Amino acid sequence: MGALLDFARGPLFRLTFAIMVLGLARLLFLDIIGMYRAYRRTTDKKMPWKLIFSRSFEWFFPVKRVIRERHVYSLLSIVFHIGLIIVPLFFFAHVNLWKEAVGISWPALPYSWAFWLTICTIASALFLLISRLTVKAMRALSLGRDYLWLLLLLVPFVTGFICANVDVGPGSYQVLMLVHVLSAELIFVLIPFSKIAHCVLAPLSQVVCALAWKFPPETDDDICTTLNKKGAPV
Amino acid sequence: MKTTILTEEERKKALSTTKKPEVVERQKLNVRYHVEDIDVNDRPRRFLEAFAAILKHSNYKMVLDHFIRMTARCLRCAAACQIYQATGDPKDIPCYRSGLLLDVYRRHFTLGGLLRGRITGNGYLTDEKIQEMADTFWNCTACRRCALECPLGLDHGLITHLGRYILSEIGIVPRALVVSTRAQLEGPFKNTSAIPVPALKDTLEFLEGDMFEEKGVRIRFPVDVDGSEHVFFPAVSDYLMEAESLMGIAAVFTATGDSWTIGTGYYDGINYGLFYSDRIIERVVRKVDEETNRLHGRKILIGECGHASRTAKQFIPTYCGGSDATPVVNILEYTHRVWKEGRLKLDPDIVTEKVAYHDPCNYARNRWIVNQPREVLKAFCRNYVEMTPTGEDNICCGGGGGTVSIDEVRPYRTTIGGKLKADQIRKSGCEILVAPCANCKKQLRELVEDQGLNCRVVGFHDLIYKAIIFDESLRVEKEAQVIEKEK
Ligand code: SF4
Repeated sequence: MGALLDFARGPLFRLTFAIMVLGLARLLFLDIIGMYRAYRRTTDKKMPWKLIFSRSFEWFFPVKRVIRERHVYSLLSIVFHIGLIIVPLFFFAHVNLWKEAVGISWPALPYSWAFWLTICTIASALFLLISRLTVKAMRALSLGRDYLWLLLLLVPFVTGFICANVDVGPGSYQVLMLVHVLSAELIFVLIPFSKIAHCVLAPLSQVVCALAWKFPPETDDDICTTLNKKGAPV
Repeated sequence: MKTTILTEEERKKALSTTKKPEVVERQKLNVRYHVEDIDVNDRPRRFLEAFAAILKHSNYKMVLDHFIRMTARCLRCAAACQIYQATGDPKDIPCYRSGLLLDVYRRHFTLGGLLRGRITGNGYLTDEKIQEMADTFWNCTACRRCALECPLGLDHGLITHLGRYILSEIGIVPRALVVSTRAQLEGPFKNTSAIPVPALKDTLEFLEGDMFEEKGVRIRFPVDVDGSEHVFFPAVSDYLMEAESLMGIAAVFTATGDSWTIGTGYYDGINYGLFYSDRIIERVVRKVDEETNRLHGRKILIGECGHASRTAKQFIPTYCGGSDATPVVNILEYTHRVWKEGRLKLDPDIVTEKVAYHDPCNYARNRWIVNQPREVLKAFCRNYVEMTPTGEDNICCGGGGGTVSIDEVRPYRTTIGGKLKADQIRKSGCEILVAPCANCKKQLRELVEDQGLNCRVVGFHDLIYKAIIFDESLRVEKEAQVIEKEK
């Protein structure tokens, strides 16, 4: 058991983390290639940078949006996101892990902060899950994987919380710890291939959309030829 | 989340259709708008072919790729959409609608989708799915309000635009729009309302006479003046329906003395391409540019029309020379500028009613024209009120995206599309609603009528025309003219 745990925490951790980083880098790369191609094809090169930045900025600090619509839901999903990012990075046990795995370290979060943040994250995840299940419109829109993701994200948080705060005896501790580590690693691997890819792609959306409205010129002929419509009336 | 669910009666009225069952049967298409008779065979294959052709010659692939990787179905957009707010039907949620097209793309144009399709053997595009898209893409008013609420930044208006574009290539497009566009691009009169040049000139002369009587000043509509600073393109229907707005515009130019002209070679700003086809956008935009060049104009001036302004502003650079393209100005920008420069005087005692300003989506959504008209209005309308939400976040009149020109969907537009707008207008208690857009004006007037609202819908320049104060020198000219007339 101990050896397995060491393996999961050591080489497996590095491997899955590398998969995540490379996978996300690939997505970013593809996105940038796409944007570059699009940019080259347009004649109108003037981008509305001011608008793009201010819109993107609004979503990094979504205060303005939250006070507008769906307050509770929005607030809790923000808490959820903060927890998802902060706890894995700044909980002191994780900081040590990062130090061993990638060789850099940074200050850890005070214990009590991590404690409350984890509770908030779990609570908000449960809330999101329940609203997906109960609000009619949300249920209509949700796919199976939307529920599964919430459940999957809950696993490392719940197990980690128990390991850090409850005395469960060494045997169960190791099992829980293993589940904790493995589930987190599963998440790493899945991120680049799922909707969670938005963690790196979303910041580019405003640029992508602004660019998309800049259509390449003189496509009329090409499209008509391809579709055998040349000279046809409108 | 609150949803204003309609009463059963309202719903029935809104979703009613005048289409005969045999037409639906023949066209194999159950949608509210009328379409021309078209080939109904093999629609899915033709849809995919059109999709592929468009992808090949456009930049849409980039957006689709970007968004199929991350749509999260968080439902924030639902709260922003006035259609969903009115119907409460999950099918009207912006993300659901965009999802329809994203799914087709995922299944038929990505490696993973194709493989999965091969293995499971299902998921191929069907007539039912095309029918669903044909219905829902034209329920949306393309107001792009939902794009502001999407945390992942998905512009649902763009996806709707693409969906309609593909559908139009297989003949599924409202007849009202195609017929007008055909008249504009291939008809003898080269405009969507089929107004011949002599009739246009008659109208202008008639209006000039009217204005002289009312204002005592010679206000002109210059025609075909070479080398003018501005070449003017209103929504051509304004010549038939919005005389007051046009008179206001002419009055402003008379007061400032700046040069402008209407070209008889081409005088229609309307561009329905924005609502269903990039190919049409390009063809129309080029005509505008050609006419401006023919007259050696230095700026393209678009009248009170949201979609015409946005298409010109956005696509003249796209299709006619990038950064060297002729600059595009909207008439509100012009009037605001000359007013700021002190060249336009307005009488603050004329308009005493309660006035509110409606933001046309195509002006405001990208923060292009939001404060300019407000500054001017507030300066001479004593009783100005603001509706909430406004500006960038405004609620669409309910007739956007070309739907206002489809007469057969009026019940839908005024009960579902305009429901939130009607509530908002009622709440503001305004007596005069200023809507500087030909589409909004038509829709709002119908809304006022059908929902029994208590206000009058006017253009921005209608009020300017009322309140404008002319310089004395122009009056002197007037006296000279009167004498001349008497002689
Ligand atoms: S563009 Fe407007 S009408 Fe269409 S889905 Fe978005 S909010 Fe609704």
